[in-house]
This record gives sequence, structure tokens and C-alpha cells, in this order.
Amino acid sequence: MTGWWGIRCVWLRYFDVYRKSLLYSVVTTFVEPMLYLIAFGFGLGGLVKSIQVDHAAVSYRQFVFAGIVGQTLLFQAFFEAAYGSFIRMYYQRVFQAIATTPITLSEVLWAEIIWDSTKATFACLAVLLIGTVLGDFSVAGALLTLPLCFVCAFIFSGLGVLVAARSRTIEDISYPQYLLIFPMFLFCGIFFPMENLPRILQWLAWALPLTSVVSLVRTLTLGFPFRVQALPILLLWLAVLVPWSRTAMTRRLVK
Amino acid sequence: MTSPLSVQNLVKEYRTPGREPFLAVQGITFEIQERECFGLLGPNGAGKSTSMHCISGFYPATSGQIRIFDIDVQAHPQKARMCLGICSQEDTLDTDFTVLDQMVRYGTYFRVPVDEGRRRSLELLNRFGLQEKKNDLVEQLSGGMRRRLQVARSLVSRPRVWILDEPTTGLDPEVRRVVWEILSEERTKGTAILLSTHYMEEAQRLCDRVAILSHGKILDCGSPTELIVKHMGSAEIEEEIRKGVMWKRPPNLEDVYLRLTGSRLENGE
Repeated sequence: MTGWWGIRCVWLRYFDVYRKSLLYSVVTTFVEPMLYLIAFGFGLGGLVKSIQVDHAAVSYRQFVFAGIVGQTLLFQAFFEAAYGSFIRMYYQRVFQAIATTPITLSEVLWAEIIWDSTKATFACLAVLLIGTVLGDFSVAGALLTLPLCFVCAFIFSGLGVLVAARSRTIEDISYPQYLLIFPMFLFCGIFFPMENLPRILQWLAWALPLTSVVSLVRTLTLGFPFRVQALPILLLWLAVLVPWSRTAMTRRLVK
Repeated sequence: MTSPLSVQNLVKEYRTPGREPFLAVQGITFEIQERECFGLLGPNGAGKSTSMHCISGFYPATSGQIRIFDIDVQAHPQKARMCLGICSQEDTLDTDFTVLDQMVRYGTYFRVPVDEGRRRSLELLNRFGLQEKKNDLVEQLSGGMRRRLQVARSLVSRPRVWILDEPTTGLDPEVRRVVWEILSEERTKGTAILLSTHYMEEAQRLCDRVAILSHGKILDCGSPTELIVKHMGSAEIEEEIRKGVMWKRPPNLEDVYLRLTGSRLENGE
């Protein structure tokens, strides 16, 4: 039993918390992508002027800015969902408190995933804005990327909620963080073209969702060739992770 | 007349992979009427909280039927919960909000408009002696204040059935009396109350009827006076309160509770 009213009500609760602690929210949402943009876009981008991708030259700053959109999505959605939902479920018991009102647990969990994705999309909006203002992305490309970010954020939010549901303690979240999230961050094409990796690693990287996200962002913002495998890979991850995370969290809470 | 809460043959079995199934509630049946306070008494693990989780619709019942004003809780939990106010045993206060804001926010989950929620919340905070704390964060409150706030929050939707799972645990005697008074006032207004408590004095004072649970079964159910007469008689009880000091007193609900649940433990059941 899931309705929009209940989801909206819980989403507004998250938004209210975000709004009330605006300084903290701004710092945790926007500072990290800014630091990456400055360090890699301007710092490293100053050293590596341009790179060849698919026989076309592109400035490294443009290349890495588009990658940082994907990285921002991954970090913001995953960390908010994993740590945030663990805290809300285990320490604050917010899920339990709301799910004994006329709002169902199913609605609470949808609101959680939608909020985590919304927050991640806010952060991506900042990166896209800077990229557009600096002339690295076209306005149309940035506008088209935004809904893509929101949909793809569901994958990483779902992953985060799944990790929270399966973690006995908050420290357990470190395992997927170091064994899955950081390897994705480093090897899914954010900082260098995938073609530079050995073939086997390229296949492995393509199996992970971030590679497809970064590839699609570059297609929309920089006009890179559309990789046909990106969409089915993302849809598959979406179809697996979102229901799995909801089932896992429900099983954790409802005996 | 439709009873506010009807529980028929409620069974709850926990099934955890890799573990033996555990029957926490074994076919309990009771009804609560308007203006009635019904107590669930029993030792830890007797099935009180599990029963309350099933009544709220948060845990699915393995079998049996729970109806709130004739609404099947399992089939229509959202509709049923519109009539329910739940104060759980665990601290579920929303630490991201101030005292007043979280009461208002909680009201919105029951479709109480913000202005109306604010008015009701201020009134409740006043009744519970928390008006001066309305702008404080939950983290700044003492344990007793947090408990009071949680009890107050469960009233913001003006429930017709009020479920309280050990509401006065950790409260000092003075504050406990404030909660008792409010509980009595709510009952007078017509609210049906389901109360779980470890304090026998509290149950004897507040409850019109009590059910004594052990190992998921109701051992006996009736008014405190009925149960005392039935199980303890009316003769005074003489006990040695410390070496050489004898004490005579009338029997009370605690004696009944200990006789019913303690004897079972002695029998090793």
C-alpha cells in the first residue's frame, strides 16, 4: 500500500531537516564536488591540457568535469542513503516512528530513496551549473543531464539503503565503501578514458553502474558517442537494487 | 456497538532464517471498549510488545484478527492507524527537530493541518509540563522529559484508541502521577486505552481490566479487584519485610501477577 501523499509527507520531513540545517547541508552537499572540480578540473587540468578520446580531442577539464557529475551522484546518493538511513533506522528510529502512523513503511522507504536521490541531484546541479558557466557544457546538455542524474541516483541510493539494511553496526558500512564505492570512483572512467585500462578491467568497470552513468553524462554534455550498453546496464541495476534494498530494509525492521 | 479494539486469537510466530521459529504470542483474545483502560501485564518476553506491534499493524500477525472500530488492521493499516495513537517502548523521538516542531510534524502524518497541529501541540506541551522546552532540541531534554514528550506526541492526532507500551518507565514519581492524570482524563473523554506496564500499582490504579500474559498466553483477565479476590482471597497477607519485621497488608495485583507468572517459572514451563 503506497501512496504519493505519504511519500510526499516523509520527503517534506527530510527537506525540512535539510532546510533547517542549511549551512551543514550546503557544506555536505556542495563542498566535496567543488573540491574535486578545483583539484582535478583546474589543478590537473592545467597540466593535462587535452586528451584524445574516440579520435577526438577534448580538454581535460571538460572531460573530468563530466566525470565529476557521476562521482558526485555516487558519493552523495550512496553516503546519504547508507549512513543517513542507518542512523534513521538504527539510532533515531525515524522509520519505525513514522511507519506506525497512517504512513506505511513502504512509503517511508520510497521517500528515503527519493530524498537521497534528490539531494544527490542538487549537488550535481551545482557541478553542471559551474560547467555551463565556464563554457565546458552546453545549456541543453546540462539540462538533459539533470533528469538522468535523478534517475541514476536511485541506483546508488538503493545500494546505500541495501548496505544500511544489511549492516549490523555503522562500521560495517565501511566494507562496501572501500571494496565497491572507492574502486568505482577510481576505475569507472571519471579521471581517465576507460580505454587506458587493460581489457579485463574495462569489462569489470562496465559491469558497474558508474561507468554507464559517466558515459551517458559525457554523451549528453560533451557529445561523446552513445555507448549502447549503458542504458540496459543502468536499467538492470535499477531494477535489481531498488526493490532489493526495500525488501532488505523491510525484513530488517518488520519481524 | 463496534468495539474500539478487538483482538481475536492473535498468533505471532517469529521466523528467522537459521533459527527455530519462536511463538511469541499464542492465540490471545480480548476487546477494549470506549472509556476503558485495559492493561497488558507480564514479565519481559511475555508477548506484550509483540502484541502491540501487531495491533499497530507494523508486524504482520501469523494468524488471528485485529479490528479497530471494525477496520481490519492487517488489510487496511493506514485507515486503522488514523484512529490510533501509539507510544512505543523505544525512544522514537525525531532528534532532528525541536520539541514543538516534531509534534507538529508528527501531526501531519495523520493529516492534521499545521496550524491545528501547532495549537494542539502547545496545549499538550502545557499539559505535560514541557511548554518551556518547546524550542529545545530533543537532545537537550532529560530522559524523563523525552518520555513525557513521546507520550504527548502520541496524543497530537487525538486518537480514539491510545496504545501505550510502558509509558512511565524511567519517570520519577511526580511526573508519573502527571501521566496518570492525563491518562485518566483521556479515558473520561471516551478514548479506549491499551496499556502495558511493569508497575502493578499503576495497573491497579488505572486499568479497568487487565490481562496477565506469560509465554504469549493470557493466564487470566478481569478487573484488578476480581483477579485479586479470585487468586488471593480477601484475607490480609503477612510477610516478613526484613528479618524480624512482619508486615500485614491487603493482597494486591502484584501478588496475583507473581502467583500467576512466578508459579509458572517455578514449574519450569
